[in-house]
Amino acid sequence: MSGEMPSERSGRHSEERAQPPAEQARNRARPEHTSGEMPSERSGRHSEERAQPPAEQARNRARPEPTSRLRIGLTLRIVAVLAVMGIAIFPLYWMFVTALSSDADLFASDARLLPDFSQFGVFVDALAEGETVRWLRNSLVIATGTTALSIVLGIPLGYALSRFSFRGKALMTVVLLLTQMLPEALMVVPLFSLFNRFELLDSLVGLILANAAFVLPIAALILKGAIDGIPRELEEAGRVDGARPFTMLTRINVPLIAPSIAAAAVIAFFHAWNEYVFAVTFIYSPEMQPASVGIASFIGEVGTPVQTVMAVAFMFTLPAVGFYLFAQKYVVAGMTAGAVKG
Amino acid sequence: MRTPRVRRVTVAAAAVGLAAVVSTGCGSDSESGGGESEGGVTTLAFAASTFGDPGRGPQLQEWIDEFNASQDEIRVEAASVPYPTFGQTVLTQMGGGEGPDLVRFDMPEFEAASDAGLIAPLDDLIDVSQYELLEQPDQFMVHDGVRHGIIFEASNYAMFYNADLIPEPPTTYEEFFDTAQSLTSGDIFGLAFRQTEAEEAGVWQDIFNYVYGFGGAWSDGENLTINAPENLEGLQAYKDLYDANVIPRGADAATFRRMFAEGKVAMELNNGGYATHLRAESPELNFDAAPIPFPVRSQGSILAPIVINEASSAKEEAATFIRWALEPENQVKLQEILGASSVATATERSSESLQDMPYLTTFDDLTESSLPQVVLGFEAQTPDIRKIVVQNVIAALQGQVDLETALDNAQEQATDLVG
Repeated sequence: MSGEMPSERSGRHSEERAQPPAEQARNRARPEHTSGEMPSERSGRHSEERAQPPAEQARNRARPEPTSRLRIGLTLRIVAVLAVMGIAIFPLYWMFVTALSSDADLFASDARLLPDFSQFGVFVDALAEGETVRWLRNSLVIATGTTALSIVLGIPLGYALSRFSFRGKALMTVVLLLTQMLPEALMVVPLFSLFNRFELLDSLVGLILANAAFVLPIAALILKGAIDGIPRELEEAGRVDGARPFTMLTRINVPLIAPSIAAAAVIAFFHAWNEYVFAVTFIYSPEMQPASVGIASFIGEVGTPVQTVMAVAFMFTLPAVGFYLFAQKYVVAGMTAGAVKG
Repeated sequence: MRTPRVRRVTVAAAAVGLAAVVSTGCGSDSESGGGESEGGVTTLAFAASTFGDPGRGPQLQEWIDEFNASQDEIRVEAASVPYPTFGQTVLTQMGGGEGPDLVRFDMPEFEAASDAGLIAPLDDLIDVSQYELLEQPDQFMVHDGVRHGIIFEASNYAMFYNADLIPEPPTTYEEFFDTAQSLTSGDIFGLAFRQTEAEEAGVWQDIFNYVYGFGGAWSDGENLTINAPENLEGLQAYKDLYDANVIPRGADAATFRRMFAEGKVAMELNNGGYATHLRAESPELNFDAAPIPFPVRSQGSILAPIVINEASSAKEEAATFIRWALEPENQVKLQEILGASSVATATERSSESLQDMPYLTTFDDLTESSLPQVVLGFEAQTPDIRKIVVQNVIAALQGQVDLETALDNAQEQATDLVG
């Protein structure tokens, strides 16, 4: 495929057929195209010009070329994408630049826009003390545990809400939504008493449970919506083949709702990764503190080491970004899976 | 084939998560603090927001390590709770029957905790008659004849100034205002103070000096006097400085203190504990301190008591640590760490210290005229009253309401609160 339309090709051929042989030879000897335009476009335009009165031709010449319009549109789109990317990435970049700023640069009247790599020691120092690595490890355990628990429990809950009819189903859905309207701070004291009774304080397990309790409803509702969109005929076909509900859930529904699972996983991971209120209240031991609390502990009564805070905060964002990029692949793959098939 | 891949990923994620849960769950309780006894050694958790300070934190840790090295039955571990949520976090933990064994509180939280019965009485644990406790700050440690705390740090407020920018410190409010205005230029500000609701406790500390420095008070001991004319005058002075654009608006305390250390801010009102931090962070900075130049010599002081959690299962061991801290040589060491702050007992400053830090006498001389930043007569309700006052004053700063109306509103709301 050359990219030209059949009508354009046939137009050019008919034109060539109407010319005497010498004229055809001269035409072949001319350079095929100039200024990057396609031959088919040129020939099509020439035939049009011949058929048009001069005034019309002049007007047409004043119009932008179709390829120019495409090029301008593409350029504008690239600029827009770069601008949006810039807005999204700039805070991360600014954290990096601030971490690598000297004290004098921090409060200079002219902001330093580029990182000063001679200050890179702040990252090395932050990692060398060992606390940062421990905080990040704890955060990773909490976020992974919360994500796994929310998804493992959210799938059957979403499936039940989508597929089964039972008394109080609508009420349960409303209650699940209501849990999302309670601020964490309101739940700290009752949860603290409850966790104290079950000896879940000062443990990462307790924190995983507390976070999962907040994320599970939203994960279940996302997955319910996804399962609602799967035709029941698929399950009926499975049932004819002797599949049980659990098999239908795991073999038919789960693969089809993979993009929604990935989306719910991203929400769960980010919630647990950033969570502060429960973590600062339920954890006493420095060995158990996650990074969200660790970073806040730099804020002292009389001083805060800004560069260190920014260096650790920058490192704190990277695993979350990594997880998002990993999960995003499945979200996009799921969205496009049906689009390219028959 | 997508299906098996998705399944593999899902199963792997679940396995990792569950493994994390199991692995972390196994060690959870064994690592928790709170009077844990293991192998004959009782481990105590000591929570103080100052452990996170870059200047004083490491030195306080060394001081605690000296206690740990002095005997082999008790081990004190620093529990660093972030400063911005320190009171809320520790009070929640103590209210739930948990939390650290030893706590260094600020006064508003100390009063709230003692009122709620969360602090162990110390009368039977520590015989204070053995020590020469400083009377002025120590009087606030006793409620209805029951001792709830021992002063860990008492730090008076004074005016810090950059001696390179200000050769002679101002002695009146008018000079103070003019100096701030004349030095504000480009990226240098004449003054800095807290002015955002995000730093509620800090704003309260700052405006306390303006109210009391202009002869006002938050109460007469029995009734709230938030909208008294003297308070209005003092807070109007605070607002005038804000309106004059002589402060870096929006900058939080951490930021403007760094600016002071970099010579970008000329003056700030702060407590003596700040001096140690400044010396550690900016040894080259030429700064000095003078009394706050307001009409009345009355200013706030940070009183930070050390208390024992009522829920602690190791109160006697916690008291052993406090008794060790009250020993004269350990008081002197603590005083040196805290710099221009005072400690529980009267200590002699060394001639080297006085030569090195001549402003120490300025802070020491202010002890008799300094007051803890609580609402006298309403100590336990101070955090709630503080919130109301700060919200209304900031509304006035931002032009949402005039200052007089803001104070009237605060008076009405706070009176409704305390009944």
